[in-house]
Amino acid sequence: MPEHIVRSYDKELEDLGRKIAEMGGIAEKMLSDAMDALANLDTDLAHTTIAADMRLDLLQRDIEEQAILTIARRQPMAMDLREIIAAIRISGDLERVGDLAKNIAKRAIKLSTEPRFPRALIGLKSMHEAAAMLLKDALDAYALRDAERARMVWSNDVELDALEDSVFRDLLTFMMEDPRNISFCAHLLFCSKNIERIGDHSTNIAETVVYLVTGEPLPTDRPKGSSQRSRLAAPPAAI
Amino acid sequence: MRGMKIYEARRHRNKIAVVLYYSAAVFGITWLVLILFTLLREGVGGLSLSVFTQNTPPPGSAGGLLNAIVGSLIMTGLGVAFGTPIGLLAGTYLAEYGRGTYLAATVRFINDILLSAPSIIVGLFVYEIMVAPMGHFSGIAGAVALAVIVVPVVVRTTEDMLRLVPGGLREAGTALGMPRVLVISRVAYRAAKAGLITGMLLAVARISGETAPLLFTALNNQFFNANLNEPMPSLSVVIYQFALSPYRDWQKLAWAGALLITFAVLALSIVARLLGSRKVAQ
Amino acid sequence: MSLANAVKLDLRTKIAVKNLSFFYGDSIALKSVNMPVYTNKVTALIGPSGCGKSTLLRVMNRMYDLYPRQRAEGEVLLDGENILDAKQDLNLLRARVGMVFQKPTPFPMSIYENIAFGIRLYEKLPKIELDGRVETALKGAALWEEVRDKLNASGLSLSGGQQQRLCIARTVAIQPEVILFDEPASALDPISTAKVEELIDELKANYTIVIVTHNMQQAARVSEYTAFMYLGELVEFGGTSHMFTSPDQQQTQNYITGRFG
Repeated sequence: MPEHIVRSYDKELEDLGRKIAEMGGIAEKMLSDAMDALANLDTDLAHTTIAADMRLDLLQRDIEEQAILTIARRQPMAMDLREIIAAIRISGDLERVGDLAKNIAKRAIKLSTEPRFPRALIGLKSMHEAAAMLLKDALDAYALRDAERARMVWSNDVELDALEDSVFRDLLTFMMEDPRNISFCAHLLFCSKNIERIGDHSTNIAETVVYLVTGEPLPTDRPKGSSQRSRLAAPPAAI
Repeated sequence: MRGMKIYEARRHRNKIAVVLYYSAAVFGITWLVLILFTLLREGVGGLSLSVFTQNTPPPGSAGGLLNAIVGSLIMTGLGVAFGTPIGLLAGTYLAEYGRGTYLAATVRFINDILLSAPSIIVGLFVYEIMVAPMGHFSGIAGAVALAVIVVPVVVRTTEDMLRLVPGGLREAGTALGMPRVLVISRVAYRAAKAGLITGMLLAVARISGETAPLLFTALNNQFFNANLNEPMPSLSVVIYQFALSPYRDWQKLAWAGALLITFAVLALSIVARLLGSRKVAQ
Repeated sequence: MSLANAVKLDLRTKIAVKNLSFFYGDSIALKSVNMPVYTNKVTALIGPSGCGKSTLLRVMNRMYDLYPRQRAEGEVLLDGENILDAKQDLNLLRARVGMVFQKPTPFPMSIYENIAFGIRLYEKLPKIELDGRVETALKGAALWEEVRDKLNASGLSLSGGQQQRLCIARTVAIQPEVILFDEPASALDPISTAKVEELIDELKANYTIVIVTHNMQQAARVSEYTAFMYLGELVEFGGTSHMFTSPDQQQTQNYITGRFG
């Protein structure tokens, strides 16, 4: 696409894109750090992760402010308008991803005093892998303006939902097996919920990318996982 | 500074030029002031009530310019009355209908020639077509001669003024579904009204001092005459005749007449200028 | 979806432009343009200077007939009737298709006469009725309150924005079916512009409106349909909301986002 006649307009849009990329990097790193901290009960890493969220919040506010200014100044149209709206939405999603990762890190700190039960972490690990994949694909789709890849993220979220269901059943079984596991597993239950939410935000980003590229919104009804998922997804994730 | 020398030289040249402009202006205005001054000095002495109440006298006796003033008014009035409508219509044709046509270009060219033609030729022309066939000089022939001079002036101002009317106004009229005749007569004329009146006044000013065409057409008359079929006196011809005479009385009357014409023309010009400053609405 | 379909079914075509080409002497200004103008909708024509949008507008009331060496080919159907037909009565056409220009063009007469003049062209009304019509027209153009006490003042004494609304009132007064706006707000300040836009919004209930504008935000604000033209061709025609968020053509995209060379 050719450049704008007013070149500072191009710079503003590029700037927004760059900041989103930075946010994406931070969010991805926070997620994997939080999971590592959880797996190894590494409190130092957990604290670093929590501290990283500050930067993410700042960036999100920055993007929002800049987007509003650009709208006021340039009255963006068409592609540009969608670009700016996308930046606002995606930065919001990434900020939430950061919050959820931070929440996992906090739980890692709490769990460090509890008796460990490593078997329970296996399911979460594969959930993390799936969620990290979704987030990465969504961010790649944004960077490449690739609606096809975004659509894939959108449909792949079903797998993460299915995984969450099985993790839920596993943790329930562990808790019934031995009530001493209840505290540990309950925390993990919340973590799995958080990871599932991160998957949701990734699909949100994917939806935004499809809108950004094609100008068409995706259908409102997404492919659903199991019936249980909808019941679990009803209350907002605890922080 | 590097360019200082060039700058200085330019300033110098500028000063010289300004001095030249001022001198030229003063030179020109001096003559005008001298003329007006002489006219006032000589003319005011000749002015009296009898100038407006008595007819031109024979040499050696007292009299006035009544018959000449009335003759001038009649012929000027008729000249404008004949010439203005023709000029207005022709000017309208040039501005509204004939734009870009060959005929309009030709008419405009001829009109410009007529505009600058020596008025004595107009006098001769009317002599040939009216005085000679009729066998005698007459007021009507004088009026016709003046009308011939009025036409090109009015044509020119009408065209210019109508051209100054914004095209948007015509389009606006047309967009309401007005026929063209209405657009011109109700919108364009109205917008150019001040300018059109100015043109007419200028024409009046132009002919009120004409002598040459009247010499060949209306000639002169010692007596009061309102009959268009007979020779008719006019201020300009009387001035011409009296000023060249050896009689002191006649010369004084000539000065007075010249003063009258000058101020009449001046007044008309001022009115025209005042109206002209508003030329076209918008 | 069903709602959109219902709206679509309600569309009636007021003007259908078919294979319209236009020439200024030897140079071509419109190249085989096809587009509809829907009844009681606002259709905006946008595009860079010289793209032919004003030309297209001036074909719709045959304003170009004023000038020699301009001619149109193709068809422009007003309620199914070809207005390019040589037999078309131009004054009648212009009574049906009114026009408001870029620069306010009040006639050099009183405010009252500016409006009464147009009415008298078509109807002989007793004074009282004429007064009523003038008042209605001025109210319709949201000008009545500002001029009711000075109807005999010259139309030229009004401010630019008021003059433009006077011109709209004048057009509305003769009750046309279509009103063409040729950049009606480009010479006005933002407040006056807003008033004119508000007016257009109100007028569409009773009139079919076509507006040429250089201001894309304005097109986005006032119109329901937009046609993007470039170099004498119609590049894209569609719903305004669609055009300004996700146009189909790259050229349209480039133009409305300010990426044009």
